[in-house]
Amino acid sequence: MIEGMFSLDQAAREKALLPELVALTGHHREHSTEYRRLLDALDHPAGRGYAAVADLPWLPVRMFKHHTLRSIAEDEVFKVLTSSGTTGDVSRIYLDKEAAGTQQRMLSATIRTVTGPRRIPMLLVDTRALFKNRASFSARGAGVLGMMNFGRDHAFALDEQERPDPAAVKEFLARHGDRPFLIFGFTYMVWLYLYELARTESLDLSNGILVHSGGWKRLADQAVDNAEFRRRLATDTGLVRSHNFYGMVEQIGTVYLEGPSGGSLYCPDFADVIVRDPQTWAEAPIGTPGVVEVVSTLPRSYPGHVLLTEDLGVVYGIDDGDWPGKRFAILGRLPRAEARGCSDTFTGAAR
Amino acid sequence: MQRHVHGGGPMSLALRFPAGADTDTLRLLADLAGEPTGGALVVGDERIAEFLVAFGRRLLAPALARRWPELGSLGFFLRRGEIAKAVASVAEQPGALRFPQGLIFHVPPANVDTIFVYSWALAALAGNRNMVRISARSAGAAEAVLDALNATLADAHPAVRDTQRMVTYGRDDAVTTALSAACDLRVVWGGDDSVQRLRTYPLRPAARDLTFPDRSSYSVLSAAAWRDAPAAARRAVAEGLYNDVYWFDQAACASPRGLFWVGPAEVVDPAQDELIAEIAAVVATRAPAVDASMAVQKQVSAYGLAAEGDATRVRFVGNAVAAIELARPEAVPQHWLGTGTFAYARIDRLTDLVPLLERRDQTITHYGFDRAALVEFARALGGRGVDRFVPVGQALAFAPVWDGYDLLREFTRLVTVTMT
Repeated sequence: MIEGMFSLDQAAREKALLPELVALTGHHREHSTEYRRLLDALDHPAGRGYAAVADLPWLPVRMFKHHTLRSIAEDEVFKVLTSSGTTGDVSRIYLDKEAAGTQQRMLSATIRTVTGPRRIPMLLVDTRALFKNRASFSARGAGVLGMMNFGRDHAFALDEQERPDPAAVKEFLARHGDRPFLIFGFTYMVWLYLYELARTESLDLSNGILVHSGGWKRLADQAVDNAEFRRRLATDTGLVRSHNFYGMVEQIGTVYLEGPSGGSLYCPDFADVIVRDPQTWAEAPIGTPGVVEVVSTLPRSYPGHVLLTEDLGVVYGIDDGDWPGKRFAILGRLPRAEARGCSDTFTGAAR
Repeated sequence: MQRHVHGGGPMSLALRFPAGADTDTLRLLADLAGEPTGGALVVGDERIAEFLVAFGRRLLAPALARRWPELGSLGFFLRRGEIAKAVASVAEQPGALRFPQGLIFHVPPANVDTIFVYSWALAALAGNRNMVRISARSAGAAEAVLDALNATLADAHPAVRDTQRMVTYGRDDAVTTALSAACDLRVVWGGDDSVQRLRTYPLRPAARDLTFPDRSSYSVLSAAAWRDAPAAARRAVAEGLYNDVYWFDQAACASPRGLFWVGPAEVVDPAQDELIAEIAAVVATRAPAVDASMAVQKQVSAYGLAAEGDATRVRFVGNAVAAIELARPEAVPQHWLGTGTFAYARIDRLTDLVPLLERRDQTITHYGFDRAALVEFARALGGRGVDRFVPVGQALAFAPVWDGYDLLREFTRLVTVTMT
């Protein structure tokens, strides 16, 4: 089986990524005033050498919410991606035409690792209503729209009121269920809507290839974790090919995909993760949880090639899983730091 | 940890002090309207003073003061001598009698656990009946304070129970409306937004607000004094600065947000490096709780200043200390950057700060200047900004004069008797 974008072992990956990332650091230093000032203040002068990817300076991902960080001229901006944050702040990610093309191409190469080279019928665990109101086009809508490229003959598992649509799902399965088909949705929606529907209606999803994203937090009250999710889908619907993925708008085009045997995420060949000890910020040993840094050679139009996320994760092993490289998991989010302070009396009451 | 303590139905309040069953606004106001045991309270009422001193003693108990150092400061504030001094400051003058305002409604900040006690204690000492809204999100030291208050009540004069209430209520406009309409003075602490929101609830025509909105505070250090200081004195400055910064997560109004070194660059540069080293040494022994979230918060803030060109150098000493060299004094941050952020700039003389400071600025903590220099600085500011100059280490020491108000005077009223 061709593993597509998941082929480099850790040594080869480090060797391939380091010079590219160092070059990107120089590129962004040259083209983003903000980034250059930051590197200068952090004592990372131009031309400084780096012995390892882990030595490169990172950017906290929240920076994209408060600052204009781009390495292209204003008139080259082709697309501005935004993501809504927990506090209403929005990340703004600037792409030129080339970057927009690259991210879509690399995302598709990554996803095709599990869907195969051809477009196959696709069931979306979402609603068509997402695209109705272009003005309020959400991150969720953008995510779904981006994924739709990987399939054909799309069907939506939810109606426009976001209720399960058994007729649409059954019709899709009647037409395409005997050959491989793609299912995409956010994890909790797959669980709450598609799984429930398939179980109660005894639908056969055994030819399905599920690609889903989103954490388990929203399912925690139902005591569902990844292992239980996979087990129940396999037992009750026959769906055994299920791939969770991890990604963020600030590193658009780069997705970390769950391997076939489940439970671990892997990095595509143009990316890596570094889990850092939140006290020393050194790389945490295998098995020790820490804060996740994501690196990718894709971001060229904005300085997002080395990002410190606010996610907690753990590396389970290196070169010892379904695919080569680091085998890791996301464990949750770092809580947001809160100020005590006098400036918060009454607003708190009305929250 | 967050606690959500509030009563069930509309207009319902959880009674935190004196601890008791849920009540409602009508009952609360009726209870406070009655004549207290032993007669109406007077300014400096001995029944209240007695209670405050006993309560302060409890806060100074070693176990409590160790766990919550800020409660220790509160305990000192409530010693017999301090209270006597405060009462003496509002002693009656011939022909001018002083009386309590009446009923005071306090809305203290949710997040500074103890500030409500200062404002309430002075208001009670002034002889007022008080209603204090305790945030449902209060935790930690605030809970310890309430426990100590309730424990002290057992041996206290019943007049304390008759006149003082601390309550928690949720999102209930009706309660705020009722308490605002009933009070003679409303004391609002906290952010500009909170103050503005509270102002939408009408007071009676003769009642008024005493507001403590958002403030910023800074530190000024004489580089020459630092250069000439012996090691022990330098350590004392670092410890003072440590307390000012790390208590209340550097988020209190009086917590310094920026440091201004006064002196020529060749004296300031080594002094700044030495100060950060001293602070790092203090941090190593005190081990402040700076978690990963706070470390990321500081990175985001510091990196942000650098990206915008406001900072020229950013250094971290572990997670506890972020040292930020500002590009110019005007770049000093007015907003919270995360606990343990030392943003510094150099100036030639104190008065260079005059054009930078404004009404919003509250406390200047100082090291290495004589009184004459500070008075000259204060005169140059002319009251347009900065209400208080205190030595490094005393930023958070509450004083009966706060934000330019003499609180006991605010909490009382004068009745004049003129004969001829």
